[in-house]
Amino acid sequence: MASSSLAQRQTILTRTVLIGMAIIFVAPLVVAFLTSFKTPSEITRVLTIPSTFYWENYAIAFERAGRTFLNSLLITAPAVVLSLLIGSIAGYPLAYMRGPGGKLVYFVLLTGMLVPFQIVQIPLFFLVQRMGLYDTVPGMWLVHTAYAVPFCTFFMRNFFASVPRSMYEAALIDGCGPATYFWKLLLPASTSGLAALAIIQSRAIWNDLLFAITLTTSDNARPATVAISGFASSLQVEYGPLMASTVVSIIPVMAAYLIFQQSFVRGLLGGAGK
Amino acid sequence: MLFQIFSGKKIILAGREGRMATKVGNMEKMYRSAAFGLALLGSTAAAYAQENYEVWHYYAAGSERAGMDAMIEIGNAASEDTKFTSVVIPGNVVELRRQLQTAFLGGRPPALYQSSMAFELKTFADGGQLHPLSDVWAAIDGDAIFPEGVQRVVKVDGVPYGVPFDLSLINNVFYNKEAFEKAGVEIPTDWDSFTAACDALREAGYQPLGNAGGTFWSLYNFYAALVSVIGEEGYYQMARGELGFDSPEFSEALDLYRDRMVSCYAQNWSGKTWTQTADDVVNGDTGMFMMGIWVAAYMEQAGFAAGEGFDMFQAPGTVGKAIFQMDVLAVPEGPGVDAANMFIEAVTTPEGQAAFAVPKGSLAPNINVDPSVYGYAGATFSRQFADASAANAVLPNLFFLLPTDLGTEFGVQIERFAIDPSDSVKAELIATLEGLRQEALAENAFIQW
Amino acid sequence: MAFKSRMSRTDWTHIAFLALPTLLFLVFYVYPVISSIHLSLHDWDGFSPRMRFIGLTNYTVLAGQPRFLHAVLNNILWVGFMLIVPTGLGLLLAAILDRGIRGEKAFRIIFFLPFTIPAVAVAAIWRWMYEPDNGLVTTVLNLLGLGGLSQNWLGDPAVVNLSLMGAVAWWTTGFAFLVFFAGLRNIPTECIEAARIEGATPWQVFWKVSFPLLWPSTIIVLGMSAIDAMRLFDVVWAMTKGGPAYSSEVLATQMYDLAFGRFDMGRAAAVAVYLFIIAGIIIMPYIVYMSRRVQDSEAE
Repeated sequence: MASSSLAQRQTILTRTVLIGMAIIFVAPLVVAFLTSFKTPSEITRVLTIPSTFYWENYAIAFERAGRTFLNSLLITAPAVVLSLLIGSIAGYPLAYMRGPGGKLVYFVLLTGMLVPFQIVQIPLFFLVQRMGLYDTVPGMWLVHTAYAVPFCTFFMRNFFASVPRSMYEAALIDGCGPATYFWKLLLPASTSGLAALAIIQSRAIWNDLLFAITLTTSDNARPATVAISGFASSLQVEYGPLMASTVVSIIPVMAAYLIFQQSFVRGLLGGAGK
Repeated sequence: MLFQIFSGKKIILAGREGRMATKVGNMEKMYRSAAFGLALLGSTAAAYAQENYEVWHYYAAGSERAGMDAMIEIGNAASEDTKFTSVVIPGNVVELRRQLQTAFLGGRPPALYQSSMAFELKTFADGGQLHPLSDVWAAIDGDAIFPEGVQRVVKVDGVPYGVPFDLSLINNVFYNKEAFEKAGVEIPTDWDSFTAACDALREAGYQPLGNAGGTFWSLYNFYAALVSVIGEEGYYQMARGELGFDSPEFSEALDLYRDRMVSCYAQNWSGKTWTQTADDVVNGDTGMFMMGIWVAAYMEQAGFAAGEGFDMFQAPGTVGKAIFQMDVLAVPEGPGVDAANMFIEAVTTPEGQAAFAVPKGSLAPNINVDPSVYGYAGATFSRQFADASAANAVLPNLFFLLPTDLGTEFGVQIERFAIDPSDSVKAELIATLEGLRQEALAENAFIQW
Repeated sequence: MAFKSRMSRTDWTHIAFLALPTLLFLVFYVYPVISSIHLSLHDWDGFSPRMRFIGLTNYTVLAGQPRFLHAVLNNILWVGFMLIVPTGLGLLLAAILDRGIRGEKAFRIIFFLPFTIPAVAVAAIWRWMYEPDNGLVTTVLNLLGLGGLSQNWLGDPAVVNLSLMGAVAWWTTGFAFLVFFAGLRNIPTECIEAARIEGATPWQVFWKVSFPLLWPSTIIVLGMSAIDAMRLFDVVWAMTKGGPAYSSEVLATQMYDLAFGRFDMGRAAAVAVYLFIIAGIIIMPYIVYMSRRVQDSEAE
């Protein structure tokens, strides 16, 4: 029938687009992956396949960057939790407040997103140093949480605003206080928003370079991004170890993605009506 | 401090939502103690870190890194109780300056750091940030072991502020031997033979002369034309700000550069990094490449041996001269000064200097270093440098003799000219640079070399 | 009586919730911005103890400088680009995958993968891909017989911005894809079923039903794209440093070069303030407008 062949054609077209885009997305990564196994002389020719599995690159990466990966984990996990928390704590009142006061605070917080890093670099250094948190992991937590305020607030406020008011009103009638509502009802109903934000924050904090360079100086707190960029000093790039450490650094962020995206499958708004 | 922030919030809540406050408070208590515990750990570690003295540099990878590590090892071997740690700042001199700024402002500078020569040293020295090295300089007899050209660029008003360690020549042209053979090229000695080589290579299907994108490389190529026209005296006049960019000599130099070098440049050179162009030479796509001697170390690391795969000759117009680029170690004022002095004494000995130079592929500035430590390439450069020193024909990299703003703009404009050597671009180049020169003269920014 | 005290109780709760974020914001944002504005009124090389007050000179000089104006133009082009390409592509991919297709999990991973890579690795990979003679892009074009189209990707001032945009699109589409996909999955299936029962084609379902419900996602993606376009730094600096000859320069890279490449902190701070103002002018009205739309759509 006409409609089914149209549907068929549409499916073929769709699949072609998907596969085409997938190839474009994946090709550079495949090149990077192959490069991580090449010897230095093989690297001069970009598009060849390595002759053997040259693990040396990974060994070099591990030796120079191993400790930094641990630091990255120690920094990222708590910082993500804290930034989700702070975004939710700020987003909740801003989504539910009536009147101009709330709007004003919201927009002022948002302007924080416009601030480029270079503006804050030096004052930030002073602040952190005076607090005694220079080159420490907790210092990085504080900084990442503070700089997450605008975006996480933005994100969670918009997410909360899209949750139906009916749930809130029902809770109030039941005698639930606003804070209880937040912890017991709103947050649990917002898992998909929190999950998406968790993915974004994991990736942002894990891949942060500028804060790391400014506020850490030794293996006490130096995260992996610094070590990775160390392989790419602007005079000579050590492509082998660079690609090896990049491949490894993808893993945690992808893990966060795979874990958190489970909650995208459930249709939560439908469930929250209960 | 951190605790106050958390405890303050708890107080606000305590008066209100009773049970809620406890729940939130408990969570915060958990975070608070965790933060406290880890802060304690962190600060203990930091306390230990201060026993170490840091050497900051940006040689993060490859042969550069190997040289740096070797030198720091020598510095460490020299004394038992002080330990020097190598701290890599990823990037190059710009990133290092950024880190230094926060370090200076925050009062925690490293014991030593890698600095460019001449004007950069002066900027920091004028700011009062650097420790004058007169004492240790006298102890190592710096005036005797370093050539005059080198001394000039580490002293500000006669006081040494930098320790030479990483010297590279930038007026050599490297070539692929097989390409020269196949094209039947004779090694050029002047501009005419250079152009002949260009034409022959092009006819044989090679890209004649490689170049790379970036602020420095086209400028370094340009020095060959510049020195040909204005000579050494003119070169120093330029460094002092006495020779205008609108002068007929400078215009002649630009024309010479355009006609003899830019016309030979490989296709798409501006889209490549210097290592990519070096790869082209290694792979036999490009015939010649004028670049600093670090490229020799890079090519050797890629398995392309000096004397077999490639060789070098001095750029036309600069034969018998040595234009050099050098990084030095500078010592910030601070608690690390005594340790730094010990470090300096160790790494300025012939062994110390060679320890860096050989893996990195640069030259040791100390004239007492035995030339036999170098391989084929290093020995050639060493001879070139020694001959030029004897003839008093050693020229420091002009980029670093000029005020930083002018030097950087110079590099950018020359690259722009090399991409598009039209008359309008040439006119803009001259106007922009001359404008900056006038500004610098007004501010008395030039150094009287 | 009871109602009134509940109202103010809610207000107090709101204030309590906002206390910590606001404090952090004041300390970590407001103070540095004020400090920067102060710095922009001076002439300082970043290292000497002397700072010379020069008033608005930095601002006036920049306003007349071709290099600065070119960077502003570049940023605006980037905003236009980021609003359309990665966003549109992410939406398209999310919409296609939302319908449920074989191998969906694999596609979801693939489209998000580039986004997980740090900027420095993106720059290194694409620096390579764009090698004008032997890089992947040129080679593929040659294989497809389109060799005539290959350019000096990063070395030709006329092309370099497009090349950079291509790399950034590859990198950041994953973000739009993620947010749109989450948003689509959040739409109650009842709405979609209802439309389908009424005989709407998949694309009609999408445009008439799904897309309007995606406003929260859309505002986030568009807002962040515009902001990232204004603040763009890492990839550009690592790939071209704003070159060749300033052709790919954006305000953030220019700021960095002025501060640490030219020892001119005051002027760099002035560029930063300009960036902040321009970003505010371009982006804030949009956010105000979009927020109102979200408020309206939730009222339905």
